[in-house]
Amino acid sequence: MTLNELTQVFDTVNFGLVVLDREIKIQYWNRWMAMHSGLPSDQIIGEPLFDFFPHLSTPGFNKNCKSVLSFGNFAFFSQKLHRFLFPFKPDSSFGYRFDLMQQSCTMGPLRSDDNSISGLFLIVQDVTELATYEQKLVEMNTKDALTGIYNRRYLESRLQEEFERHRRHSHPLSLIMIDIDFFKKVNDNYGHQCGDVVLQAVAEKTAAVIRKTDFVARYGGEEFCCLLPETAVDAAEIIAENIRTHIEQIENIFEGNCIKVTISLGISGLAAEDSPETLLKRADDALYQAKHSGRNRFIRL
Amino acid sequence: MIKKILLVDDSPISRRIMKSCIPKDRDYELFEAGDGLAGFETYKEIRPDVTFMDLTMPIMDGSESTAKIREFNPEAVVIVCTADIQIKSITNVLELGAFMVMKKPPSKETVEDALLKAEEHIG
Amino acid sequence: MDYCLDIISDEEKEILQEIMNIAFGKAAADLAEVINIFVVLSVPKIEILNSQDLPSYLKTEVSEYERVSIVEQNFWGDFKGSAFLVFQASAGRELVSLFGDNSDDFGSESIEALEKETLMEVGNILIGACVGKLSELLGDAVTYSPPRVVTENTHNDAIPANIFESGSSAIVLKTVFCFNERNVNGFLFLVTSNDSILWLKKSLVTFMEQYE
Repeated sequence: MTLNELTQVFDTVNFGLVVLDREIKIQYWNRWMAMHSGLPSDQIIGEPLFDFFPHLSTPGFNKNCKSVLSFGNFAFFSQKLHRFLFPFKPDSSFGYRFDLMQQSCTMGPLRSDDNSISGLFLIVQDVTELATYEQKLVEMNTKDALTGIYNRRYLESRLQEEFERHRRHSHPLSLIMIDIDFFKKVNDNYGHQCGDVVLQAVAEKTAAVIRKTDFVARYGGEEFCCLLPETAVDAAEIIAENIRTHIEQIENIFEGNCIKVTISLGISGLAAEDSPETLLKRADDALYQAKHSGRNRFIRL
Repeated sequence: MIKKILLVDDSPISRRIMKSCIPKDRDYELFEAGDGLAGFETYKEIRPDVTFMDLTMPIMDGSESTAKIREFNPEAVVIVCTADIQIKSITNVLELGAFMVMKKPPSKETVEDALLKAEEHIG
Repeated sequence: MDYCLDIISDEEKEILQEIMNIAFGKAAADLAEVINIFVVLSVPKIEILNSQDLPSYLKTEVSEYERVSIVEQNFWGDFKGSAFLVFQASAGRELVSLFGDNSDDFGSESIEALEKETLMEVGNILIGACVGKLSELLGDAVTYSPPRVVTENTHNDAIPANIFESGSSAIVLKTVFCFNERNVNGFLFLVTSNDSILWLKKSLVTFMEQYE
């Protein structure tokens, strides 16, 4: 095969191909790269890569270049960790959730006849579609379909993670269990569709009231759970009270009726002897007490 | 004048490589030892002019053996020959009194150069 | 089983040992100099095994770790095989704080995913440096598959039962490494199969010829 033939192949393949010399100057830039960057190859060849893409000159990228040039290993820039190396527009704007093309890139050595490493190559693959699917899958797995907040499975894995992190650093961690009062009556009087509207409203309001670092999940039927990292129970009480007052003010309009609900809340804070299970159990016990001492209130244990 | 050379290395292959790099035309008397302790014992017995010393060895490592030899004879010329060429390890053995450090594998050139430097030093 | 022991002689084993020693010394020195990774590599050990015994060998070797993370990477050349880097599962966290590139925004990725990616990057570089220097001394240049990370509760689940087809033999090169700034340590196993053995024997002869 001639070089000309090889070049034809390189210019037709559906991925980016870049060759750099030891000074990280561009030696080859295939048509895919030219097309997506808007930089034709005759304009960019011989120029330092970082002149055109200064954001690439990070310690991490440089480390990988040096490593490939001295050890001849391959470096992999996964979409998960890097999102992309080159800021290109996605191929299509339909159905993608990313403003920029998601890329998975591979860097490897190029050797001269005496086996010494003369430069490196970079392969750029468009994985936007794959990343979109993955994101949808993750969402389906971690979010509650009705309310759009996290589901119980995700809460439990997150609780485990946060529990370990907080205990290691002896930081405070609080949990709030929430249950809608007399929810069965809403369902019985107005139907399940109305119940769904109420659940959505409570989820949405709670998510809006808590801080950015907190998060809320639908724990069961009409039960919700908030995880409050770096938060002592005293501060958790303020947040609980804030959620309670906001929920009781919601006016749910369903088929001409205005339905208002209240919630009961149970709070627990991480103690030295706790496990994730006992922390959950105490919040649940507190919720039970709140229910039995008149509802529409919080209890901490 | 260098007459006796002691090679301390646990790997027979490594000693073989080293021997092949030592100039053949100068009638050096070569001695070998397979660990740091044996190296020290042999040193006391034969009093070599130059000792080539590996670092990672069983029973007693090269750093300790170098220190012991230098304690026994503060004038001893110990050339450390090692694959462990990180700055920290090199500074450490130089502080213990090693004459110089050579990286493995040795070559005829590096060994000849080291022997020349040792010769000058001994005078 | 005896045929395993014959495939390379004691002398060849010693030569390989010395070459690995030199290669890993160079790898450690270059890692420190080129990319500021400070790692201590122990004197490598060589085992010749029947490939059926490989999984149980690996399990026994890492049995001190309760949970393990394994970075697996294949390399191809005249010298071909698999590299396994075995860490204690908790090492991921330490490595993130040691190598994490703060200039990147990890967004919503969970800590777990971040640890996995970091293990992959560190593994890739460490394996690349060791295999790269070794094959260089043996006169070869290899290419690599992307690394894969497995984190499991026990090493029983993490180590694949059939790494090589049964009946073949395997040369296992083992070293213990330690990132001395963080006291993160683990094992590196390079496993090469029948296919490479003839080439390996020839390369060992070529290497020694320089010193005849």
